[in-house]
Amino acid sequence: MNTQRIGAIFEKDLKDFMKNMMLLTMPIIPIILALIYSRLGGDEGLPISMLYLIVGVTFSSVTSSCMMTMMAEENEKKTLRGLMLSPASFMDIIVGKSLVVGLMTFIALAISLLLVGMKPFLNVQAIIGLILLFLFFLFLGIGIGLFTKSVASTSAYLMPVMFLFGFTPMIDFLGLGEDSIAITVAELFPLMQLIIMHETNSWVPIGIVAIWTIAAAAFTYICFKKERTDD
Amino acid sequence: MENAIKVTELRKVFDHHVAIEDISFSVKPGEIFGLLGPSGSGKTTTIKILTGELGQTAGDVNVLDISAPLFRTADFKSKIGILSDNSTLYERLTVYDNLKLFCKLYDAPLEQIDVMLDQVNLKEARSKVVSKLSKGMKQRVLLAKALIHKPDLVFLDEPTSALDPGNMAHIHRGLQKLNDAGTTIFITTHDMEEATELCDRVAFLDNGKIQELGSPAELRYKYSTHAFHIETFENERLVMANEAGSADKIRDLIANGKLKSIQSDHPTLGQVFLKITGKELA
Repeated sequence: MNTQRIGAIFEKDLKDFMKNMMLLTMPIIPIILALIYSRLGGDEGLPISMLYLIVGVTFSSVTSSCMMTMMAEENEKKTLRGLMLSPASFMDIIVGKSLVVGLMTFIALAISLLLVGMKPFLNVQAIIGLILLFLFFLFLGIGIGLFTKSVASTSAYLMPVMFLFGFTPMIDFLGLGEDSIAITVAELFPLMQLIIMHETNSWVPIGIVAIWTIAAAAFTYICFKKERTDD
Repeated sequence: MENAIKVTELRKVFDHHVAIEDISFSVKPGEIFGLLGPSGSGKTTTIKILTGELGQTAGDVNVLDISAPLFRTADFKSKIGILSDNSTLYERLTVYDNLKLFCKLYDAPLEQIDVMLDQVNLKEARSKVVSKLSKGMKQRVLLAKALIHKPDLVFLDEPTSALDPGNMAHIHRGLQKLNDAGTTIFITTHDMEEATELCDRVAFLDNGKIQELGSPAELRYKYSTHAFHIETFENERLVMANEAGSADKIRDLIANGKLKSIQSDHPTLGQVFLKITGKELA
């Protein structure tokens, strides 16, 4: 990795982000949701599943969505090929972009959690969980962004990502029985694992989220290998 | 370094379609080499293989003493510049911001931005957003981007296709200057006048095969009929073969003050291409 090249890509992407209205509106979504939810909590604050719902919305609508859109746009306009033909490595490109997305995610998450309550997240286990969750959504965004050929088609992929991984705690409101297969499967999803982690203080959920993150990283790598050449 | 580019028995097959069929050629350091051919002849495929965007099916490719498997290294990429049909710019950013990005990626000094903008005649567009530029202006920014790090070898795929004659001449002068400074240039073009003006040697590519290779002057001479086209003051047009008998007739015309003009028959590169392939280069 080369810090100068990472810096150059970060600077370019930050300028581009600030001029792209579609991307600029993304970090506002979780903040508005947090603002609405902050009025529901009362003195005891919001239940942990609600807090993680806001985390899930932040990571899916800011991290995954922005990364997906940025990568898809580079792919669509063939600017990614220009970057790949330069001395910048894949890691330089990804890290540079991830820093921009990370910055926007951090701002949106910090404001959202300040509104609904940050206390449950102020411990090492929760912070590691959030970092892994961020990486999971980031890799998902990069992979799908490389895979899709246009910005317009990203919305078709963003919806399943948001509903499956960002809104997973909402499954409790569907009125399914506790023995339902859907509930059993959903409990293996990253966001639900972090809720379980809070309830049990176990490190096993962190391991399961780490496996999800590794799988998302592998998916990104495969998409990159396909994009790298015309073969 | 004996050759800037050496290609031996290069072959590229897409599914069952042979795009490049066992071509061999070399480009000397400091040379301007033109690969000419109609659309679909294999020019872009060749450039993509030479720049590492595509892998070859068979054959050896060596560029700047680096062989094909190492074309994806930063060292190789920093030695070459590419302007291809796939080259694009960041539309929301300014010309300066676009060039600044590539300056930093190639570790080139930022002063190069103004040098290059001057070379492509775009100094006044420095702060303009790329989306507001005309097609020709964008093409010139892309050329500046390809050359900003002073590469040893530049690949230019149809570099002047969107330019007006004035800007084309300006770019040609810039490329000549670059070549005078020692940069090797590998160019593909449809424009035969451009090839004649710029290239030291050209190769005609058709159906994935090199049909002819040589300097523009050599090829024009080789495919000439060697006849003389003569016009007299009596508006008589004569064609005389290049042989001993013609010398007396020409001498008589001069002696009698009848000779208005005399020209040797040298076909243009386009006519040579037509003779060899039966196809016109549009």
